[in-house]
Amino acid sequence: MKRQGTLLTTLGVIIAGIVVWNLSKMPGNTQTVVVYVSEDQVFSEPILKDFERETGIKVRAVYDTEEAKGTGAMNRLLAEKNNPQSDVYWANEPIRAEVLKQRGISASYVSPNAAGIPDVFKDPEGYWTGFSARARILVVNESVAEKPQSIHAYTNARWKERAVVANPLFGTTTTQMAALFTLWGDDRAKAFLEKMKENGTKISTDNGESTDLVASGEFDFSLVDSDDGVNRIRQGKPIVMVYPDQGEGGIGCLIVPNAVVLIKGAPHPSNARKLMDYLLSKETEQKLAFADCAQIPLHAGVETPSEVKDIDQIKAMEIDYAAVARKLLEIQPFLKSWVGY
Amino acid sequence: MGRRVTLAAVVVFLMAIGLLPLVVMFAKSIVVDGQASLAAYRGLLTSGREWVLIRHSLALSLSTALLATVVGLPLGIVLAKTDLPFRRLFTALFTIPLLVPPYITAISWFNLLGRQGALSKVLGSAAAQATSDWLFGLPGCVLVLFSTFLPVVMLLTMTYLKTVNARLEEAGKLAGGWLRVLKGITIPLILPGILMAAMLVFLLTLGEFGVPAFLRYDVFAVESFTQFSAFYNFGAATAAAVPLVAITFLVLVAERLFLRDKSYRLRLAPGGAPSATIALGASRNWIVALVGLLCFVLVVAPLLVLFSHSLSLAAYKEAVSRAGDSLLRSIAYAAIGASALTVLGFFTGYLIHTRAFRFWRAVDTLTIFLFTLSGTVVGIGLISLWNHPSTNFIYGTPTIIILGYLARYTALTSRITVSALAQIPPSMEEAAQAAGAGWLRRMGLIVAPLAKRGLVAGWLIGYIFCLRDVGITMLVYPPGRDTLPVRIFTLMANGSTELIAALCVIMVVATLLPLGLGLFFIRS
Repeated sequence: MKRQGTLLTTLGVIIAGIVVWNLSKMPGNTQTVVVYVSEDQVFSEPILKDFERETGIKVRAVYDTEEAKGTGAMNRLLAEKNNPQSDVYWANEPIRAEVLKQRGISASYVSPNAAGIPDVFKDPEGYWTGFSARARILVVNESVAEKPQSIHAYTNARWKERAVVANPLFGTTTTQMAALFTLWGDDRAKAFLEKMKENGTKISTDNGESTDLVASGEFDFSLVDSDDGVNRIRQGKPIVMVYPDQGEGGIGCLIVPNAVVLIKGAPHPSNARKLMDYLLSKETEQKLAFADCAQIPLHAGVETPSEVKDIDQIKAMEIDYAAVARKLLEIQPFLKSWVGY
Repeated sequence: MGRRVTLAAVVVFLMAIGLLPLVVMFAKSIVVDGQASLAAYRGLLTSGREWVLIRHSLALSLSTALLATVVGLPLGIVLAKTDLPFRRLFTALFTIPLLVPPYITAISWFNLLGRQGALSKVLGSAAAQATSDWLFGLPGCVLVLFSTFLPVVMLLTMTYLKTVNARLEEAGKLAGGWLRVLKGITIPLILPGILMAAMLVFLLTLGEFGVPAFLRYDVFAVESFTQFSAFYNFGAATAAAVPLVAITFLVLVAERLFLRDKSYRLRLAPGGAPSATIALGASRNWIVALVGLLCFVLVVAPLLVLFSHSLSLAAYKEAVSRAGDSLLRSIAYAAIGASALTVLGFFTGYLIHTRAFRFWRAVDTLTIFLFTLSGTVVGIGLISLWNHPSTNFIYGTPTIIILGYLARYTALTSRITVSALAQIPPSMEEAAQAAGAGWLRRMGLIVAPLAKRGLVAGWLIGYIFCLRDVGITMLVYPPGRDTLPVRIFTLMANGSTELIAALCVIMVVATLLPLGLGLFFIRS
C-alpha cells in the first residue's frame, strides 16, 4: 500500500511538473512571432530556430502535413480571415501567396533585404516576396540513351507509357499546369493535357514518388522539383536532371520560389517584419541552398551546391504569377475531371 | 436536487462540446453568401467520386470488422478459457497495436513491406515492389487496421466470457464436449457482446484517418480532411463528412434496436462460480505455435523492424532536439485530458448506470456516436464553433484540443465507469444516504473511492487515446503548440526514415510506460 502511494505520488509529481512546464512556456505577446509554414518542416524549422537564437524572438509555428499538400497552412489562414492568429506566412511557392493577396488576407511590406531579388520574383505592390527557389526539371533514368529535353516529350509517341507526372491537383504540379494555361491559352493547354493522357502518362501521388519511379526504371522520365532530383542523386540513385525547354524558342523552365507574406491584422507586426527580413537575407538563401532541399538562391552572388545551376544560368519561363494564381482556381474543375475526381 | 442539477449540467456540457459544433458545422455548410444552398450536397449525389468513396469506406470497414471478429473471437476464447501457456504475455502483446497510434503501425509495416523495406533485402526488388503495391491500397489498410482493432474483439470476448454462468457450461458438458458447449451455450450467450465489438471495429475503421491517408487509400475521412485542408472547401468538407455521420448514426440505431433487450451489460457471473478452464490436451502445442506465429506477424515483427530502423544515436538525438517539446506537450495535454475525461466520464457513467433520466440511453448513444465519429469531423466542427475573436481564449490556446478530447473520448471513461459501478452494491450508497449524506458527499466519499480501480483504468485509457490522437489535434492545434503525433506527421514530408522511426519508438514508449506503471498500481 505504501509502495502504491509512493508510485502514485511520483507519477503525480512528474505529470504536474510537465503541466507546469507547459504553462510556463506559454509565450507572452511582445517577444513572439506566429508563422504558418508550407515549406517542409524538416527544412524550415532549423531556419526558424536560428532566427529565435539570433533575435531572442520566440517563433510559434504551424506546419503543413504531407496530406495537405502544402496548402493546409494557407487554408487555415483563409479560415481565420476575420480572426487572424498568424503574423507571417512562409509559402513554398508564390501562387498561394497571390491567392491570399486576392482574398485580402495579406498586407504589403517591402523588405530592405529584398532589393537584390529580381523583380519577376516579387509582387510589385509588396504583398509577397520570393526567395530560395526550386526549378521544375525533368528527372530521367540514366539508362535512357536519348534524354528528353522538353515537356513536349509527354505527348511524344516515343515515350508512350514511359512517363509519369505527380497529381496535378496538388503542389507545384498544379502551379505548372496553371502556368501552361496562362502561357498557351486554355485550348492549347487542354489539348496538351489530353494528349498526355492518350500517350499513357501515369499519375503518381507526388513528385517524390515520381522521382522514385523513374529511379527504379519503371518510367523513363518525370517532371518534378529540382529538390526531388538533387535528393535522389545524393542518395546515389541512377537519374540525371534536365532543365527543360532551354533551347531557342523554348518556353523555359518554371521557377518556383518560396514566398513570404505579411498577414493583414497580424498580432505582432514588428516581429513579423523582422522575421521577413531574416528569411529574405542572403544568409538564409545560402543555408537553404546547402540543406537537403538544395534550393536555388535568388540573390546574386550567393554560392550554390554543385548539383543545381545558378539562377542566371537557367532560361526561366516568363510568367506573371498573379495571372497564374487566377488561372489556378479557374482550372480546378478541369484538372479534377482530368484526374478522375 | 444536487444530483439532478449536476447530472443535467453534465448533459448540457456534453451537448455543448460535442453536438453543438456539429450542428454549427452543418448549418454553415448549407448557407452560402447568406443564402440557403444545398450546392455542396448536390455535388455529393451527382459526383461519381462519392460512390467510389462510399465503396472504399464500406469495403475497408466491413473487411476489417469481419476479419477482426473471425480471428478475435477464437483468440479471446483461447486466451481467456484455456490452459494455453503465456496467456498473459500474449494478451499484453496483442493489445499493443490498439494502444499505439495506428499510423505508427502503418509506418512499421511500410518499413517491412515498402519498396526499400526490410523484406526487399531478402526477397529482392521485384518482390518488394509487389509487397509495396499490396500495402498501398485496400489490403494494406485492412492489415494495419485489423492488427490495430483485433484487441477490441479479443478483449471484449475475454471480458464477456466472465459474464457467462459457469454452471450452465458445466451442465452442457454433461451432454457433450467443450466444442459443443462453446457452440451451443457460451458463444450464443456472449453473441450480443461480440456483435457490439464488431460494430465498434466497423465504426472506428470508418472514422480512421491516419492509416488510409498514409497508405493512399481514398475514404471519406481522408476526403473530408483533404477538402478542408487542401481545397479549403468548407461546404464540400462537411458534405464529405455527412455520409460518415449518417452511417455511424444508422449503425448505432441498429445496435440499439437489435441489442437493447439482450443481456449484454457487463455483470460478472452470479454465484461466484469460477469459469471452467478448457484443457487443450494434445492440441496445446500447435495452438501455442499458431497464436505465437500470429502474434509475431501482427505485433512483434513490425515493431522490431521499426525499432531496427531507429537504431542510430544520431536519429534519437535529432528526434529529441526536434520533438522533445512536442513530447512533453503531448504528455501534458493527455494528462489534463485524461483527468477531465475521468471526471466527465464518472458523472456520465453514473447517469447511465442509475438511469437517472428517462433519456439516459440517448446520452449513452451520444457519447458512442462522438467516439466513433472521425476526428477530422470533430475538428472541423470545433473550428466552425470556436474560430471567433471573442472565443480566442479557447481557439487560440490548447483548451481547444482538450475540448476535442472531451467531445470524442468521453464514451471510454463513461463505459468503464458503468462497468465499475455495476460491481458496487447499491446498498453502500443507500446506507450513506440514510445516514444523511448529501449526493455530492456520497459520490466523493463512497462511490468514487469504491470505483477507484475503474477510475484509474479509465484515466489510463483516456490518457492513451488523448496521447495518440491526431485527427482532431492536427486541425486545431494553436501555433507552436503541436503534439508529438502531429509532429511525426509534419516531419514525414522529406524527414529521414531513421528520424521518423526514432520518433515512433519514443511515442510507443511514452504510451506504454505510464500504462505499465498504472497496471502495476491496479494489480498491487
